[in-house]
Amino acid sequence: MKNSEVLISHNGPLSYEEIGFLLNKMTTILEGYNFSITIKKKVYAAMVESLENVYKHQDTIPEDAEHFPKFSLSLDDKYIYLSVSNSLLKDKIPMLEDRLIRVNQLDKTGLKEFYKQIILNGNVSQKGGAGLGIINIAKVTENKFDYSFTEIDGQHAYFTLGIRVAHYAE
Amino acid sequence: MEPLYIEPSEFTPRVFFDPGNAVFEISGFSRPENTVDFYKPLLRWLDEYEENVLNKNTDYSKSNMVLNLKMTYFNSATSKYLLDLLMKFMKFHSKGNTVEINWFYDEDDDEILESGEEISEMVNFPFNYIPITPTP
Repeated sequence: MKNSEVLISHNGPLSYEEIGFLLNKMTTILEGYNFSITIKKKVYAAMVESLENVYKHQDTIPEDAEHFPKFSLSLDDKYIYLSVSNSLLKDKIPMLEDRLIRVNQLDKTGLKEFYKQIILNGNVSQKGGAGLGIINIAKVTENKFDYSFTEIDGQHAYFTLGIRVAHYAE
Repeated sequence: MEPLYIEPSEFTPRVFFDPGNAVFEISGFSRPENTVDFYKPLLRWLDEYEENVLNKNTDYSKSNMVLNLKMTYFNSATSKYLLDLLMKFMKFHSKGNTVEINWFYDEDDDEILESGEEISEMVNFPFNYIPITPTP
């Protein structure tokens, strides 16, 4: 991510309304660039799914401002980068990491099959998630994730997901 | 049976299920805060439609049902519910009703077209793909 320009940076609790505000901001900013509708929709989808994952699955630590959700959107001459971070309970890590490892190993056809398998067999949770977000981001962006888990305390870790959307012809 | 009409909002689609003409339409943007609360009533309405209209088959002849999906964007939680809705139509089809599914997409929007093709493959039923030319 050399010489990248930060277009949006958010640090703080993430409500449903705040997600809408960030999406509108992104749409307005990207209007100023000559990207195709497909690239804009890829960024839109990646942003919705990643921010909704934070909204639905974050385990916040009250008054720990250092580990509030963070989001940034940046750009260089090849990619649009999204970085999304949130605190979560450490016992959620194994399942999430398994999914990330699996998704990063799959090609486009494999991702389509995996998506199909989850959507046909998975239940939508009470929070409205269907466990499809991560697969969907990988499917639309066609790039591998960067991710990390950093320990906060005995119970919590800080999860960061890095997503790339190519805006040039690969 | 009364039609089901839901006004669109910034994050939820317009819904119009018209039992009189057997035309069912969902259009627009779908990223509801609570996907379950938004889509469950649609599925329940279709269950009632099956029970009160299709099964009795008195008010209407064997139906020629048309489902128009004109989505501009939907999140992954919505896609699960679109699939559940389509499964209902597959059931109606298996009971002898004619079902036509029209998938509208902005002609420049490969993502929506591809989503339609994937969903069609999942339910194993052909869709008609209808491009929409954006108004300048």
